[in-house]
Amino acid sequence: MLKRRRSKLEITDIFIYAFGIFIIAIILYGSFETLRQGKYSASQWADLFVFGITIGGIYALIALGYTMVYGILQMINFAHSEVFMAGPLTAFFLADALAKSGLLATNPAISLLLIFAFSMIVSTTVAVLLERIAYRPLRHAPRLVPLITAIGASFFLQYAFRGLFGTQFKVYPEIPALEGVVTIGVVRLTYTQILVMISAAALMIGLQAFVQRTRTGKAMRAVAESRESAALMGINVDSIILTTFVLGGALAGAAGVLYALVFTQVSFAMGFIPGIKAFTAAVLGGIGIIPGAMLGGLFLGIVESVGPTLFLDGLNIAAPYQLKDAIAFTLLVLVLIFRPSGIMGGQTQEKKA
Amino acid sequence: MPILELKDVHSYYGHIHALKGISLTVEQGEIVTLIGANGAGKTSTLRTISGLLHPREGQVFLEGEQINGLPAHIIVSKGIGQSPEGRQIFSRLSVMENLEMGAYSRKDKEGIKSDLDHVFRLFPRLKERRSQTGGTLSGGEQQMLAMGRALMTRPRVLLLDEPSMGLAPVLVETIFEIIRDLNKEGVTILLVEQNAAKALSIANRGYVMETGRIVLSDEASKLQESELVRKAYLGED
Amino acid sequence: MKAFNAKYVLVLLAIVAIAALMACAPAAVQPTAAPPTTAAQPTAATAATAAPAGFQPPTDALGVVTIGPNDPVHVGYMFVTSGADGALGIDSRRGVEIAIDDKGGKLLDHQVKFDGQDSGCSAEGGQAAAAKLAADNTFTVVLGSSCSSEIRAGGPTLSKAGFTVISPSNTAPDLTDPAKRFPGYFRTAHNDKVQGAVAAKFALEKLGVKTAATIHDGSPYAEGLANAFAENFEKGGGKITSREAVSPTDTDFKPVLTKIAADKPEMIFYPIFVAAGSLITKQAKEVPGLGDSVKLMAADGTFSPDFYKGAGDAAVGMFQSSPDFSAFTGGYAKFLEEHQAKFGEKPVSAFHAHAYDAFNIFAAALEKVAVKGPDGTLYIGQQALRDAVAATKDFPGLTGTLTCDPNGDCADPHIAVYQVGEDNVKNAVVPSQPFWKPGQ
Ligand SMILES: Nc1ncnc2c1ncn2[C@@H]1O[C@H](COP(=O)(O)OP(=O)(O)OP(=O)(O)O)[C@@H](O)[C@H]1O
Ligand SMILES: [Mg+2]
Repeated sequence: MLKRRRSKLEITDIFIYAFGIFIIAIILYGSFETLRQGKYSASQWADLFVFGITIGGIYALIALGYTMVYGILQMINFAHSEVFMAGPLTAFFLADALAKSGLLATNPAISLLLIFAFSMIVSTTVAVLLERIAYRPLRHAPRLVPLITAIGASFFLQYAFRGLFGTQFKVYPEIPALEGVVTIGVVRLTYTQILVMISAAALMIGLQAFVQRTRTGKAMRAVAESRESAALMGINVDSIILTTFVLGGALAGAAGVLYALVFTQVSFAMGFIPGIKAFTAAVLGGIGIIPGAMLGGLFLGIVESVGPTLFLDGLNIAAPYQLKDAIAFTLLVLVLIFRPSGIMGGQTQEKKA
Repeated sequence: MPILELKDVHSYYGHIHALKGISLTVEQGEIVTLIGANGAGKTSTLRTISGLLHPREGQVFLEGEQINGLPAHIIVSKGIGQSPEGRQIFSRLSVMENLEMGAYSRKDKEGIKSDLDHVFRLFPRLKERRSQTGGTLSGGEQQMLAMGRALMTRPRVLLLDEPSMGLAPVLVETIFEIIRDLNKEGVTILLVEQNAAKALSIANRGYVMETGRIVLSDEASKLQESELVRKAYLGED
Repeated sequence: MKAFNAKYVLVLLAIVAIAALMACAPAAVQPTAAPPTTAAQPTAATAATAAPAGFQPPTDALGVVTIGPNDPVHVGYMFVTSGADGALGIDSRRGVEIAIDDKGGKLLDHQVKFDGQDSGCSAEGGQAAAAKLAADNTFTVVLGSSCSSEIRAGGPTLSKAGFTVISPSNTAPDLTDPAKRFPGYFRTAHNDKVQGAVAAKFALEKLGVKTAATIHDGSPYAEGLANAFAENFEKGGGKITSREAVSPTDTDFKPVLTKIAADKPEMIFYPIFVAAGSLITKQAKEVPGLGDSVKLMAADGTFSPDFYKGAGDAAVGMFQSSPDFSAFTGGYAKFLEEHQAKFGEKPVSAFHAHAYDAFNIFAAALEKVAVKGPDGTLYIGQQALRDAVAATKDFPGLTGTLTCDPNGDCADPHIAVYQVGEDNVKNAVVPSQPFWKPGQ
C-alpha cells in the first residue's frame, strides 16, 4: 500500500480504486435504503447476525487449517475441504449408533464428546496421511507441484469416501438436549447455536494459547518464518509441519461435527462449498495469519447472512440470496483492493531482518 | 582427536559444485577462521557441517562420530551451534522467544536458566528488549540475538558466519571480545569472516578458501604474514 | 514469510475454478455426435448374411439403426441414480425394468438390453451423460432424463445424434415450448404448467391462504414450477410476497427464510430438490416469525424417502404436489405387486409409472416402424420412430390415456396434493394416498 502510494498511480490502479469506491457506494446506499424502509425488526436483524456468526464460526475453524498450513509451507492445502468432510461423515455412524442405543438422549454430554473425539481423530488421520503421502515427498519441489497434488488428493478423497459410504446424504440424529432456545433482549439463540459459538470460541482461544504460549506453538511460528533457522535451533521441522496438519485436521473435524449439528446432513460432497468459503475467509483475513482466519471466517459468515438483505433489499433486487456468493466474493475483491494482503495482512509487512 | 573434522567434502546446489573437496580440522578449544572471497564457499562449508546441506561425497566427524547425513536438528543436539549468515533471527517472535527457541531441544531447566543469564550478561541490550519482537531490533542487536540464540543451544562447537557484518566499528570490537571470551569459557569456534585482519588476530589457525577449495592453511600469525593473504584479504599491496 | 499478494490469490482462484470445472464436467470434450449406424454402414452381422434379392432395407432422413438377427434392442437411459436425488432416477429405471419384464424381456423377438448413464440431476451431469450415450450407436432410444436441467444441457446432443428421447419425469414447461423444444423430445410426465396451477388452486381453495412466498434453486424445473405457481396464485387473487432463489448446494437457508418472514406470508412454496428442500423444511421451523403457523408446500422434486429422512419431523403436516397415484389405471395395482416382488419395497419416488408408460410408447412405435429383413435383421428409421411416437393417440398407459401433442407433451396429467404424515417420516416412504385433488 505505502509503496504503491509513493510511486505514481497507474491507470489500472485508478480503475481498481474507482471500482472499489463504486461498490462501497452501492453497499452504503443499499444499506441505507433497507434500513430506511424499516421492513425488518431488530430481532430479525439479530437473528441474521446470529446465523452469520454460527456459520462464520464454522468457516473460521476450517479456515485455520488452510491458514496454518499456508503459514508454514506457503502452500494451499486444497484437500483440506475433504479433511473437513471425513470426520463428520464417518462420525455419523457413531452418532447413529449412540442414538439407537439411547445414549445420545440419556447422556448427551458424553455422547457429544465421543462424537467430537471420533470426528477429530478421523479428520486428523486424513490430514496426517495427506502430509506424509502427498506433500512431504514434494517438500522441495516447485510450489505449483504440491498445489496440483492437493487438488488431485481432494478428488481422490472425495471419490474414496463416495465409494466407501455411498452418494446419499446421511442425516445426523436429533439431540434432545440441544432443543431449546435462550432469549436475551432481541437476541434469540438456540442451544445448538450456543454450542457452536462456545465450541468455536473455545477451540480458537485454545489454539491461540497453544501457538503463543507453548514450546511447540512457538516452534510452529519459528518454522513458519524460516525452516532453516528453525532447524539450526534443533527444531525438528518435519514434525512441526506434521503438528500443524494435526491441529488443522482436529479443528476441521470439530468444525465438521458443528456443521453436522447445525445442518444435520452430511455426505461425501459436503466439503467442497464450506472448503471454498473457508479458503476465502483465510484470504480475507490475511492468509498465514491465525487471528486473520478467525476474523475472516466470522466476517464472511455475517456478510453471507446479513449482506443480501442489508445491501440489496433496499435496492429492490429480487431474490438477493441467490447472490450471496457473489456478494461474498465481491467483498473479497474489495478487501484485496484496499488491503492486498487481507484484513490483518498489514502486520506481516514489517521490516525484514 | 579433533573435535570437528571434514574429509574431502563435496557439496552441491543442484548442479552447482560449491565445495570441491574440503578437508579441515578444528581442535578442542581452538578458534579457527575461514576466510575467502565472496562466493568461495565459506557459508556452504558451515551449512554442510550443520546439516543444512548434505555433502554428496566426503565425511564430517564430530569427535570421531560421523555426522554428515544426519538431519540438522539432530546435529544441533549433538553440540554444533550456528549463527547463520545474515542473522536470520525470527522477526515475529520476541527476543525472549528467539532465545527459547535456541534451547528448544534441551531438557535441563537449570542449565537453560543459567545459559539465559549468561547470554543476558554478554548482551545486556537483549535483556532490556526481551519482550520486543525480533524484527524491531537494530541490525547490531539482531546480530547479538543471533549469537545469543546459538549459544542457547549450548554448543561445543560454535559456527559463526560473518558476525561483524554491517556493524559499527565499536560494536565489531565488542563482538570480537565476546567471541574471545566465549572461547576462553571453553567453546570451540569456527569463524567465517570478511574482516580477515580481525579474524586472524583472534584465531589460532586459519584456512583460506577459493572457489570451493582450500588453498592455504596455517597458524593465524603465519597467515597474517603470508603474501597471498596480505594481498587478497588484508587489502595490502 | 513472503507477503501474500493479490495476484497470487487470483491465480489460485482461477485454479479453483478450473478444478471445479474438472470435477463437474468429466466429458467437457464432447465426442462429435456420431449418427447411429446407418444402412450404408451395416454391422458385421448383416454383412455376413447377404440379404436375398428383392428385399430393400428402409432409408431414413436421420439414418437407420440396424439390429443384427442375434443382437438385442438396445434401450438407453439417462437418469440420476446417485446422490441426494438418486431415488428419482432409480424409481424411473425400475419402472422401465418392470415394463421390459412385462414384454417378456423381448421386442420383435429380440432381447431388450437396457442400460445407460447417471446424469446427476445437474446440467453438467446431463451433458456428460448425453455425450456418452450419443457416442454409442447401438441405442434405439433414450429414456430420460430425470431432472429438467439434465436434458436442457444434454438434449441437443441426443437430438442431433438422431435419438428419440422420452422423459418420464421432466416437467419444466419450456422443454415443450415450441420455440425451445428440440426435435425428437417427448415426455410422459406432466407439464408443470399443470402442476403449478393445481398447487395454486390448492393453496387458494383448500388452504384458503391469500399470501405466499416462493423459493427456487435456479434449476429449470424449480424456476418453471415456482413461476407457474406464482402466476396462477396471483391470477386467483393471491399475493406473492416474495420470490426468492437459492443455490442447490446451499445449506444455510435461515437468512433467506428470515427475509421471507419479514413479509409474513401464510405459505411458502418451494418446488426444489431433496437436499435443499429437506433443509428448508427443517430450518423453517427454527426461524422465528415463520414457526408453526406458516404452511409449507413442496412438489414432486422432493417426493422421495430421502426427503423425509433429511427433513425429519419438521416435514410432518406439510404438503407436496405430485402425480395422482389414485388416478392411475387398473394396471397400476399389478405394477405395484411386481415392484414389491422384484425390488422388495414400494416405489421410492413419483415417476415409476410414467417411466413404464414411456417404455411402452416407445415399444409400440418400434413395432410400428421396424422393418424385419428376411434373416431377422431389424431396421429402424430414426425419423420414422420419432414420427410414430409423435403420433401416439389414446394410448392406454398406467398413468392414464396418453396422447402426444405436437410439442411432445404426451402425459395425461393428474396432479394431486399429498400431506406428509408421521409414518412417512418414520418409515421413510412416500405417501400413497392423495390428500386433495383438483375438483374436490
Ligand atoms: N542456494 C544456492 N543455490 C545455488 N547456488 C548457491 C546457493 N548458495 C550458494 N551458492 C553458490 O555456491 C557458491 C558458494 O557460496 P557461499 O555462500 O558458500 O559463499 P561464501 O564464501 O559464503 O560467500 P560470501 O562471502 O559472499 O558470503 C557460490 O558460487 C554461490 O553462488
Ligand atoms: Mg557467506
